[in-house]
Amino acid sequence: MAKTVSDSSLHKKSPLWRFLLGELRRFILIFLIASLGIFLAIEAMPEDPVSLRVKNPDPARIEEIRDTLGLNDPLPIRYVTGVRDFVTLEWGKSLISGRSVRDEISRFLPATLELAILGVCFGVTFGVTLVLVAHGTGWRWLLQPVRGLGALGLTVPIFWIGLLLILLFSVQLGITPVGGRFDFAYASPKGTGFFLIDSIISGDGEALLITIKHLLLPVVTLGLYPAAVVSGTLEARLGESYLQRLVTALRARGFSPFRIWGKHVLRLVSGPVVTVIGTQAGALLGGAVLTETVYSWPGMGRFLVDGVLNRDIFVIQHGLLLVVVLALFVVTFSDFLATRLDHQLAKKESE
Amino acid sequence: MRTLSKLRIFDAWAILILVLVLAGFFLTPHDPMSQAFRSEALEGPSISHWLGIDGLGRDFLSRLWRGAANTAILAIACLAVSLFLSSGLVAIEQSGPSWCGKLVRMLVGLWVALPVIFIGLLLLVFLRPSPGALVLAVGFGNMAFAFRQIRVYWIGVRGALYVKSSEVLGSQGWRLFRWAIWPNLKPDLFALGRLLFAISALELSGLAFLGLIGDPDFAELGSILKQNQAYLFQAPMLVVLPGLFLSLMLLTTHLTKFHR
Repeated sequence: MAKTVSDSSLHKKSPLWRFLLGELRRFILIFLIASLGIFLAIEAMPEDPVSLRVKNPDPARIEEIRDTLGLNDPLPIRYVTGVRDFVTLEWGKSLISGRSVRDEISRFLPATLELAILGVCFGVTFGVTLVLVAHGTGWRWLLQPVRGLGALGLTVPIFWIGLLLILLFSVQLGITPVGGRFDFAYASPKGTGFFLIDSIISGDGEALLITIKHLLLPVVTLGLYPAAVVSGTLEARLGESYLQRLVTALRARGFSPFRIWGKHVLRLVSGPVVTVIGTQAGALLGGAVLTETVYSWPGMGRFLVDGVLNRDIFVIQHGLLLVVVLALFVVTFSDFLATRLDHQLAKKESE
Repeated sequence: MRTLSKLRIFDAWAILILVLVLAGFFLTPHDPMSQAFRSEALEGPSISHWLGIDGLGRDFLSRLWRGAANTAILAIACLAVSLFLSSGLVAIEQSGPSWCGKLVRMLVGLWVALPVIFIGLLLLVFLRPSPGALVLAVGFGNMAFAFRQIRVYWIGVRGALYVKSSEVLGSQGWRLFRWAIWPNLKPDLFALGRLLFAISALELSGLAFLGLIGDPDFAELGSILKQNQAYLFQAPMLVVLPGLFLSLMLLTTHLTKFHR
């Protein structure tokens, strides 16, 4: 009996393990290809990054620095060392500032993550609420903004929306700050690097208010694109006939609109919505970089762009690879979540 | 003969806008690069400068017009790169040996996971920032999306019964493509072209806004916006108008029904 139970649980688990193993294989493969691509791009750099930084262009001194940095080692060794250094978090020092790349990234990454996570949360909540309220209440006019949002994503540049929001809310109404992450006249909250969490943990109400004020416009700007994608997908999905029949049946059983749309329907359509968010991870990352530039947000975007333009090799090598790893992680996690949420996908996977 | 009267109203509008935009290469009232009006910097609209002067003393209408023309032509170049690469990959995947097809599909699967901004930054590691580098970045970035779409269209049309019938009747090679496949592939390809043009223009302007276009004075709508961000308080129209021009251009692209 015990053997049967164990076999059965193994059988139940195997598709999940198979899925995770497949995703891990894909993850490692993309990581290796991306790291090789970055390595070859740095190799093909037209200028010598060390010569650009040395004030006295003495060839012997340049060679000495290159030796110290390991830039004169044979190519395969440098590639393997680079991957090892990335995995062990030994990311070297910036050639521009002389500061540790790991420290710099640990300063900028939480800012980008805070913005991206809140942007997605706002976008998804806004998009889903709009569509579900429109269907649940029968107020079909609410679907007009959904169609408008869809067109917005393919017509209006995100950075322009950001500038318009600054013009309206900061310049005209004076409600929000023009840019930045925190008020310079006030000590920023310390801890995780996520100012919202840090100000809540420290119980500093004023810091929390300043953080929210600075977050408001960037989060709305960044959230508009996910809101457009999510509401469009949800609206298309809700038009499917089996869902219409389900809603009719649940109504006939006397369920409230909130229970029908907020519980049963939402659960059924959440899988594809999560998948869409995952596939948009790249676009979201691009959006985050643009939003950071508009609002002078001290995040990874500006750090990487400056790194590339200044030929700062260790920032390029480890910063870009980190972006790939993060994008991959979001895609993989959303795929995993979608298969758990969507019964049809889960069934296909187990077959 | 297909005359203008037979074209639908949106197509006529789109052609008009395209001609107007491209006229920005030779019809601007002033030199868009020349800082000839520095003493009148940030002045509002006047009879000689319909949209005023920008912060560096250049006629703003001329800059916007040339910027729209540059954005349109660069987006068309991105579109051409994406379509060329993706069509080539579809040809290899469909007609090459099966291992080759598998390899192409796997590489495209990997490419999709990489954000365009990453591809742009990666190319700029070894290329000097320039409009050409951005065209390559956006063209390569959208290659995987274009490949997937074209592959689906191709498989759908190639397997259709009317194509099979033409083959049975002796049509093959170029004749088969020209008379049985192309007429049915064309509407989907034009729809994809419209979508890719809009995506390319947005991504290109985004990369230019980040300062990756090289010359900050190059008239492109994204870089014009970036340069004028500093004058947001004094002259908001310098920021509002470039985005409006870009949005109007893209809206027109979506509205056209050409080959729909």
